[in-house]
This record gives sequence, structure tokens and C-alpha cells, in this order.
Amino acid sequence: MFESTLVNQRNDQVQKRFKMIFGVMLVILIIPVIIIISTLIIKGSPSISWPFLFTDPTNGMTEGGIFPALFGTIWLVIVSLLASVPLGVAAAIYLSEYAPDNLLTRLINLATINLAGVPSIVHALFGVGAFVVFFQFGTSILAASLTLAIMTLPVVIVSSWESLQSVPRPFREACWNMGATRWQTIWNVVLPNAFTGILTGVILQVSRAAGETAPIMFTGAAMFLPFLPNSVFDQTMALALHLFVVATQVPNVPESLPYGVALVLVGIVLLMNTVAIWIRMHLRGKKKW
Amino acid sequence: MVSNKIEVKNLAISYGGKQALGNVSLEVRSNEIFGIIGPANSGKTSFLNAVNRMDMMRPNMQVTGSVHINGIDTRSWRNVYALRRKIGVVFPLPVGLPLTVYDNVALAPRLAGTAGSKADLDELVERCLRRAALWDEVKDRLNHLGSLLSGGQQQRLTIARALSQSPEILMLDEFSIAVDPVTTMRIEDVLKELKNEMTIILVTNLVQQANRLADRTAFFLNGECVEIAETEKLFNGEAKDQRTNDYIGGKFG
Repeated sequence: MFESTLVNQRNDQVQKRFKMIFGVMLVILIIPVIIIISTLIIKGSPSISWPFLFTDPTNGMTEGGIFPALFGTIWLVIVSLLASVPLGVAAAIYLSEYAPDNLLTRLINLATINLAGVPSIVHALFGVGAFVVFFQFGTSILAASLTLAIMTLPVVIVSSWESLQSVPRPFREACWNMGATRWQTIWNVVLPNAFTGILTGVILQVSRAAGETAPIMFTGAAMFLPFLPNSVFDQTMALALHLFVVATQVPNVPESLPYGVALVLVGIVLLMNTVAIWIRMHLRGKKKW
Repeated sequence: MVSNKIEVKNLAISYGGKQALGNVSLEVRSNEIFGIIGPANSGKTSFLNAVNRMDMMRPNMQVTGSVHINGIDTRSWRNVYALRRKIGVVFPLPVGLPLTVYDNVALAPRLAGTAGSKADLDELVERCLRRAALWDEVKDRLNHLGSLLSGGQQQRLTIARALSQSPEILMLDEFSIAVDPVTTMRIEDVLKELKNEMTIILVTNLVQQANRLADRTAFFLNGECVEIAETEKLFNGEAKDQRTNDYIGGKFG
């Protein structure tokens, strides 16, 4: 009575075949990742050392360390976050919690999503026009960071919006029925539960900001500087640009140097992503409904 | 003293032009349990939303007519938040907020700025949980997440939370849908006691629940208030409208 019929057998075979196809796809997908990371580690690790991380480049950037670039990247990321996170999260809160569902809101949503797809070189030119020239910040950390912020803003908005939307609506209704204002509801119930999602979105944007070259190339990053930046109005070196320069613009660079720079850059990005995943898992274990 | 706590006149509710409830006029007396029965989609929940002015939070919900509470038109209340604090609401599905059990109950006073000292708040939380018949089960885990309690416990937590704002009116919307029969009976006992202190509107899809609890009962059908009468009369077959008799007799719905 429980013998499988012909249809059962066929379904079973189809299911096995699809499982295999998806598995193969996955393997194809992760092969490049493995190759990239292993190449970087094999060719780049010989040049990694404390002095490499914490000294200046010397001899026309063919020797020495990468400290100014590392330092500059951290500057750029922090300043761009200071601009994009408050702005992006506030915009997401407005769109998710306050905005009426009308044509204007839908247009704004559409524009936000499309903005995320604008090529980074276009953001770079916008940054030159707006921050370097119009606001007269000059080529500086401030201009470069704001350009990065504009670039990451749409994704911060979209990911924050999605986190806010994932908080069940009955929670809001319960609060409103208690006589809470919209803001009290957002502050006490919605934001605490959307926090992990927002944080993950933000950290993923950190790694993107750290890795982009085009937006900072014309707005504030220099190929080589003999000094560290003192304020946000100084120019700075940056890892991503430094990698581009030592790999293509400077003659007689030992092969391990660009690989070392690339390894540090990828290391920072992976570290950030790991932190994001860790925070997410940690907080998700605590909050449940 | 029998007085009217809530007076509803010519209330009509529509969503984006589609009428959900039309031409309802009724009074709810102080300290009575006012039952509302009727099949799904008859406008019962919309009625509750109109009473505590939740239409403000729903852009496509239009309300006409008037609702007076304590003789004052709810539309003339400048501070709707104060109005909503006078009205506790319990939902069909339990909503334990993802806060601790303690914070769930303490949230309303805290938001209203009436929390007072820690000792006062402790006392309030314990009193509300006791009255919701939940204290004995959660007194040792007040700092556990309220959203992880069982369904029946969460529903009583919701009631405790509704009581924490010392409401004058308690509105329950089909509270027993997701609750086991034993918990339902316990909550019904709680309601009988609470009746001495507040006015209760009980929306229910269980006809017998209205029979057990309600002093007077209204029958809503397809967005129309068919009949309002003493519960006893309705269940003794003295309903004026044949549809009411049919519904109570189990012929439809």
C-alpha cells in the first residue's frame, strides 16, 4: 500500500537531478572566490609584516610599507559613515514609518533603488562637481568621504527600510493602541528590533566604501603624499588607489608588493563582513518572536 | 447609576470608498459588558478601530458619524493619545512585544510618563499581571521575553498590558481565537471581575461567549447593525429580526 508509483519515482528522479544542478552551480560560483583568496595569500603573505603595515612607502613606492594608505582608508570610511548612516537611517525611517503610500513616495523609492545602480565613476564626477568645486572643499578627505557617502547612501536606505519593514505590523498597532505616538513606537519597539538588520547593511557598505577607487580618485585621494592628513580638509592616500598605483603606474615594483596591498584590503573587507555576521548571529539569538 | 459611556451616532466606515460598516447608532453603558457578534467581514473590528480613532493611522479608512465617550465627541479630543490611553485593546492574535514580561506591562505607563518610582511600577506590574491571571505563571521570569511565552500566556500578557494604563474602557477583539478553552474560561472570569471597574466591549465570533458574558449584545451582519438587545432576550428567541435568530440558532455564520 505504500509502494511508490511511477509518478512518485519520476518526481523523485527529477528532484535528485535538480538538487545536483544547484549543487554544481554553487561549486562553480565559489571556485573564483577560492582562487582569488588563495592567490592573494600565497603571493601576498611574504610581504605582510608589522613594518609593512606601519611604515611609509619608500624609494618611489617600490619598497617600504603602506601605513599612510591604510590610515587614509580608515579616515575615509569613518567620515563617510558619519554622513551616510544618520542620513540613510533617518530617510529609511521616514519612508517606512511616516510616508503616506502615494505617488511621490513610490517615486522616491524607485529613485533610491536606481541610485544604487549608478556607476561609481558617475558618483565620482558628481563629487567633483558638488563637493570639490561647488562647496569648495577642494580635493580633500571631506569631499572624498561625502562622495563615498552619496554612493553608499541608497543601499543604506534600502537595507534599513527592509529591516524596519520586517518588524511585524501588529507590534506597531499594539503600541499605537496604548496611546504611544509614532515616534515612541519607533523608538521603543521598531528600532530595537530592526537594529541588527540596519547594522548589517551599514557594515556591508563599509567594506564597499573601503574598496572603491573611482569615487575617491578625483575627490581627495592622492597617489603619494609625504605626510599624514591632519584634518578632513587634507588630501590622503588610500589603499584601493595605492593598489592601483603600485600595480600599474610605478615601474620596478616587486611582485609581492601589490599582492600584499590587495591582501590587506581584502582582509579589512572580510574582517568587517565577519564582524557583521557575528553581530547579527549574536543579537538574533537574543531577540525573538 | 446607569449612564452611557459611549454613544455612537450614524457611524459609517469605509475603506477607499468601499463601505465596511454603515449607519450604526448605539450606546454602551458604564460598567456593562457589551457584546458584538457577527460573522467575519461584518465590520466588528472596524467598529473598534473607529472608537479609539485608529483611523488616523490608516490613510484609506474614512469614518463619518460621531462617537462620544464620556459625552465628549472623540473628534474634538485634541490629544488622541490621551484618548487611546483610556481605552485598552486586546487583539485576536496575542501580541507579546519582544520586550521582557515586565517591560511589556510597564511600557504604557512609561510611555505616558506616569511610571513613577521603581517600587510603584513594580507594584503596578504585579497588580496587572495578577488581575490578568498570569502572575503565578510568570512571577519567576519577569525578565524573560514576553514574545516567547505560550499563546495563551501572551494573550493574558496583552490583557495585563491593556490594564496597565488604567483604562476606562476595555475592548477585546475575538480574544479567544488563538487561546485554548481553559485559558478562555480564565480570561472570561477575569472579565466578569473587571466589569466592576470598567466598561467592556467584547467582540466575539463565539455566540455562546456573548451569551455567557455580555449584558447586552449587538448583532452585526455585512456592515450593518441588525439588532441590539439584552443578551437574555436574544438568546431566548425574542430577537426581533429573523436573521438574528438564524445566526444565534446556528443556521449560518
